[in-house]
Amino acid sequence: MINANRQLSRRRFLGNFAFASAAIAAGPGSWVIRPDWANAAEGPIRLGIATDLTGSLGFAGNTDANVARMLVKEINDSGGLLGRPIELLIEDTASDESVAVGNVRKLIQRDKVDLVIGGISSSMRNAIKDVIISRGKTLYIYPEGYEGKECTPSLFCTGPVPAQNCDQFIPWLIENGGKRFALPGSNYVWPQTINAYARKVIQSSGGEVVFEEYYPLDQIDFSSTVNRIISNKVDVVFNAIVPPGVSPFFKQLYQAGFSKNGGRLGCVYYDENFLEMNQAHEIEGLASSLDYYKVLAAEDPVSARIQSAYDKQFPAKFRFSAGSAATGTYRGLKLWEAAVKEAGTIDRDAVAAALDHAKIAEGPGGPAEMAPGKRHCRMKMYIGVAKGGQYEIVARSAGLVDPKEC
Amino acid sequence: MDTLLIAMFEILSFGAIVVLVVLGLGIIASMMGIFNFAQGEFVLLGAYVTYLVHSLGLPVPLGMLVAPVAVGALGFVLEKVVVRRFYAAPIVAMLGTYALGLIIREAVRGLTGGLYLSVPEPISGSIMIGGLHFAAWRSVIVIITLLVMAASHALLAHTSFGLRVRASLENPQLARASGISTGMIYSVTFAFGAALAGLAGALIVPVFSLFADLGIRFLIQGFVAVMVGGVGSFAGPVAGASVIGTFSAWLPWLMSPVIADVLVFVLAIIFIKFRPQGLISGRGVNR
Repeated sequence: MINANRQLSRRRFLGNFAFASAAIAAGPGSWVIRPDWANAAEGPIRLGIATDLTGSLGFAGNTDANVARMLVKEINDSGGLLGRPIELLIEDTASDESVAVGNVRKLIQRDKVDLVIGGISSSMRNAIKDVIISRGKTLYIYPEGYEGKECTPSLFCTGPVPAQNCDQFIPWLIENGGKRFALPGSNYVWPQTINAYARKVIQSSGGEVVFEEYYPLDQIDFSSTVNRIISNKVDVVFNAIVPPGVSPFFKQLYQAGFSKNGGRLGCVYYDENFLEMNQAHEIEGLASSLDYYKVLAAEDPVSARIQSAYDKQFPAKFRFSAGSAATGTYRGLKLWEAAVKEAGTIDRDAVAAALDHAKIAEGPGGPAEMAPGKRHCRMKMYIGVAKGGQYEIVARSAGLVDPKEC
Repeated sequence: MDTLLIAMFEILSFGAIVVLVVLGLGIIASMMGIFNFAQGEFVLLGAYVTYLVHSLGLPVPLGMLVAPVAVGALGFVLEKVVVRRFYAAPIVAMLGTYALGLIIREAVRGLTGGLYLSVPEPISGSIMIGGLHFAAWRSVIVIITLLVMAASHALLAHTSFGLRVRASLENPQLARASGISTGMIYSVTFAFGAALAGLAGALIVPVFSLFADLGIRFLIQGFVAVMVGGVGSFAGPVAGASVIGTFSAWLPWLMSPVIADVLVFVLAIIFIKFRPQGLISGRGVNR
């Protein structure tokens, strides 16, 4: 049969064994980017990036790794931190928590990094935070916008949380859509938590929630939902359905005439990456609430500089966008840089103490600072509306918005 | 009344989509006894080919014609190179085809950058009947599904090629002794099943957009449909797909979608427990 000529010979076994051990030693999905200069006395500062380079969140993870590459190069080119260069170690968390824990352990135990930035989904953060913080005694920065309520010491969050997403956005939706809200969401922690927060803001702003409903993560047919939205005369759909369901959902809403009859779509996570998910006319008028849009480059010279530096170094398909945690990664790394400079050391507790009140004057979308004692970030927030496949900024926060967490 | 009509249309159109996806899977499972775990990825590949043709600036309908041919050709090659080694071991075949599916899926993920990409419908907009909206493209899918189903049945039941396929299925030794090249028949049947998946992918990509995990959802639904319908006949998987498609589109109208999703599978398991041979038992095309 087929196996007759495939018997395991000693040579073949040794060959396979050598290949497998080499693969295990190198570690699949590991990258080390060494600085091109060295500090002989102390060696480099080691920065670990643990993010989803492969799997369903790969489009975001690769962007975050690219942002780290860009910033580390900038820092190293301008003399490093505390006179030491930064060595960047990137591990793939593969959109899979069980793979991630092993790879993050490598960063902590083998590479002994001084900081880990990464994790995109909340489940990923929960899976790797213990390895990094309690057992690894290492600082952890989580860059993605999320549902909030993460108050672990030594864990700093640099993406927007529900208060930042909703406080300005929902009154705007009521004014520019109407009072009757539908809250459809995918069935996991982020939609449920943000909808609970949104419901409070809707009610205190004079709106009402007509229905709130959750769907299996892989549901891709929403005819009954669309029908309820139309027959209940909903004014605003505050969407927390995530891909892959969101694209057919928006399409079915469009086909049922929702936006044509004056309905407004709102979705807080919808960045430039998602605009291509539907044809432009299907999501015309969709409003989203984020800390950065690419169009800001036209008015803000700092955002323009960051955006063009990124696009020049990484012209490929991984876009610098808010929903990919690119802005959170940028802020996280720069805030940490400021904290290390202030602390004058890379000792975890000293850096954490300085990071607690760190500020940066320049970042994508504007300045940012940590809210002292909260381990969450104050940032500017913008409301963008999709017009012909592009975002237009229609409203912005007066100053930095407080995260109201912890 | 209005709601009822809309609900019926939506349920019918989703049922048609599931039937379209399951058709190829069912033909390969029934005619060859292989559970092709790469079938979902053949659907994905059909969707990707359509997107590719669209992104080159060519019309989408052309992509929809190219997709089944391209995926069918790939299916032919894969059968010759990989799948035929597994006919003696159906369990290993599942793993082997799963591996093929994984390779295709991750390749498409790499090519699309893991993004979600839209493909416009060749016929967009809605048909208005008395103030009710019916999505035009979904109506087209229903019609094409009926046509493809009829054509596949005619091919297998009434042509000499269909006769050879059935002969190779019923008794391979006798078929070979009668001068039928069963190897070639298997290759062509597999390619045909793959081409149907490619067509399904091409037709549904405007509805669901293109993303790497497009096939997975349909794969699981497809297998439940084949189990419920019964393996071995042409009509079995089609009947199973209609039932599963109808239930998964209908139950969310009645209850919380999260419960509906589970209930479809629970009902399927209970049904198979009491009727393990499925809705339609027996082998062949006309039974």
